[in-house]
Amino acid sequence: MSSSESPARTEAVRQAAPLSRLTRRRFLRYGLIGSAALAAAAAGSFAILRRSPVDAIPVAEGIRNLGAGEYHLFRRAIEVLLPTAGTALTPVEEVPVLANIDHMMGLLPAHVRQELGTGLALFDNAAVVSGFHGRRFVDLDDQAAVDYFDAWSRGHSIQRALNTVIKQFVYTAYWREPETWPPVEFDGPVSDDWGLDYLGNAPLPREDQA
Amino acid sequence: MSRRRRRINMPRQGVPVTTARDVAQDPSRGRRFNIKTEVVVVGSGAAGSVVAHELARAGHEVLVLEAGRYYPSSQFTEHLGDTINEVYKDQASQLNSTADVLFVEGACIGGSTVIGACVMHRPPNSLLEGWSERHGLDQMTPEKLAPLYDEIGEEQFVHLNEAHEINATAHKVIQGCEHMGFRWRPVTRNVRRCALTGHCLAGCKPDRKMSALVTHLPWAVGYGAELYADTHVTRVRIENNRATGVDAVVRDPDTGDTVAEMRVDAQVVVSAGGAIQTPLLLQRSQAPDFSGELGRNLALQPFTQVLAEFPEELYGFRGALVGVQVDEFLESDGFLFYSALAEPEQLMAQGDQGVGADHINFMLRYKHLAGLNAFSIDDGRGSVSWDGGVNDGRQIIRWNPSRKEFNRIKQSASLAARIFFSAGAKRVYMPTYQRLEVDSVFDLDKTMDEVDYGLRGMYTFRSNSFSPQGTCRMGSERSRAVVNPNGELFDVAGLFVADASLFPEPMAAAPHWTVQVLAKHVARRIEARRSSLFI
Repeated sequence: MSSSESPARTEAVRQAAPLSRLTRRRFLRYGLIGSAALAAAAAGSFAILRRSPVDAIPVAEGIRNLGAGEYHLFRRAIEVLLPTAGTALTPVEEVPVLANIDHMMGLLPAHVRQELGTGLALFDNAAVVSGFHGRRFVDLDDQAAVDYFDAWSRGHSIQRALNTVIKQFVYTAYWREPETWPPVEFDGPVSDDWGLDYLGNAPLPREDQA
Repeated sequence: MSRRRRRINMPRQGVPVTTARDVAQDPSRGRRFNIKTEVVVVGSGAAGSVVAHELARAGHEVLVLEAGRYYPSSQFTEHLGDTINEVYKDQASQLNSTADVLFVEGACIGGSTVIGACVMHRPPNSLLEGWSERHGLDQMTPEKLAPLYDEIGEEQFVHLNEAHEINATAHKVIQGCEHMGFRWRPVTRNVRRCALTGHCLAGCKPDRKMSALVTHLPWAVGYGAELYADTHVTRVRIENNRATGVDAVVRDPDTGDTVAEMRVDAQVVVSAGGAIQTPLLLQRSQAPDFSGELGRNLALQPFTQVLAEFPEELYGFRGALVGVQVDEFLESDGFLFYSALAEPEQLMAQGDQGVGADHINFMLRYKHLAGLNAFSIDDGRGSVSWDGGVNDGRQIIRWNPSRKEFNRIKQSASLAARIFFSAGAKRVYMPTYQRLEVDSVFDLDKTMDEVDYGLRGMYTFRSNSFSPQGTCRMGSERSRAVVNPNGELFDVAGLFVADASLFPEPMAAAPHWTVQVLAKHVARRIEARRSSLFI
């Protein structure tokens, strides 16, 4: 039996139905985040049906702001988005990408953080039904995960939003580290290397000096 | 009443600032303290710094309160990530209510002038004439404002970019414009002996950028002005239709914990926190709003960044960040284009940069890229509102493009792509939420047709705003405007607005220069009325 025909999938489709029934007017009324919350509630239910082996993996020490589900989502997203092995780029394992994401999460205002958590759960769990994968994002193979991102980048507003947010967290967390710059020949800080003099405060305007 | 100027005692480097740490370590202040001054200025950026300098020079006691931290140039690292963490508002995650438009704003002593790209644009006369005629602003004619533009221009070392300040990205834009027959010119910037580090967005470490950190703030301090960082003004106190001061909270910038509560008694309050923060402050203060326009008419001047890949290596991220502008369409369509390509991290906010191997290949071609920022005028239909209590509420920015605005953004991005194709680009990356690459100018229209307006234009173009404006518009009629031609609220004596909130209509040009001109205008109107405003 293929995953698309499984009882779990049938149940997941049933539980996700509230999202598909949203009319445009209701979508506007509840807003993007409200809709995401509704969908995530449905997705959260079928997450119970679709447990993942990664759920048993403990969260790394030092992670303070990411929940376990978010941690595993980003860990998988990093592998999919930044397959640096065999390329000229700095190996992703040598860059504290997850730690940076965790730090950035901690800086978000509380209401944004809460809404984002809802959206991330949706992204992970919706793979069960979206694209007929029959499994969560964290369990997709590499090509399926790439396809999933591509499909969401062309999807509806919520999908485009979450696709963007996850990519932006991962890529920003990687590219902000100076060790990633030499392979792309970005110079980074230059003032000290160039021996630039510091001009200090500008002179007073002419009128003040009169 | 006449006053003598105080003795100048201007620091050579940095600015003396009282921070949350200073307050916490000073037992004499306690958890609540009062300050009495003549003028309190809320915000220390482009507008607040100019007002502080003007009024301190005129002999007034001036106190400047800044919600952000003090991050002096001696601590700059030329690392965008560090800077975003320290001085960008909400760590560069200030978004509209649908979370698809980013509002980039500085939250530090010096405000957005610290992280701006130095672009100073003097608007066309037609804009000021329109403001003057349609809003009864007799003092806003091009002729009357010209001396103020000149003054600011001199104070800020504004100059036309010289040849060495035009980098490879800019040269590609020039090349494209020449082929297309579009008018271009070097950008005017407020920088003194630009060191060409390309790190404008991370603050200018060698102090070449004429931000408020090295100009109007130290000058104001030289005349005795005092600065507080980490100080969030919660409300303006208004009694009997007169501003009497502000209430503020001093917060630890790292933890957000309250260090102390501050009460400032002042004869004049000037709000200069920008077009997002100023209306929020006035709303929290329950300032009278007879016109109903407070917080409305928000214009974004949304911009997108089109990236182009060229066969040759450009290293377009080196040199002065912004080299040239394309102003062919400024008055006809409200489009303005600036050449720019910044750090790798910054690219991630401009478009969908691919997945996996596709992303890696894209970034390995970074040195082949050029960027063109496409600004398009919007119609000022957005709003800013404060939701909840003074201390536990939150801001809501509402803006989504109308179909007309969406089409303008699309058209400006398409024009930017055409300029690059004319310069020989082999691929153009469109600034959209979906991955869109175009390999030939002949495919451009067909590809752009894939970007559909959809639901309120949400999640279509990756729009950013550096220049929100118009939320406390100035005018002569109390029924249509929030503040009068002096910058004073119609129904609250002694409460002034001096920032981009004042703009009565959206402008297409970069607003920094005009903001400083209006701040100077408001400060001088305050000084002109000193006998009625000050005891």
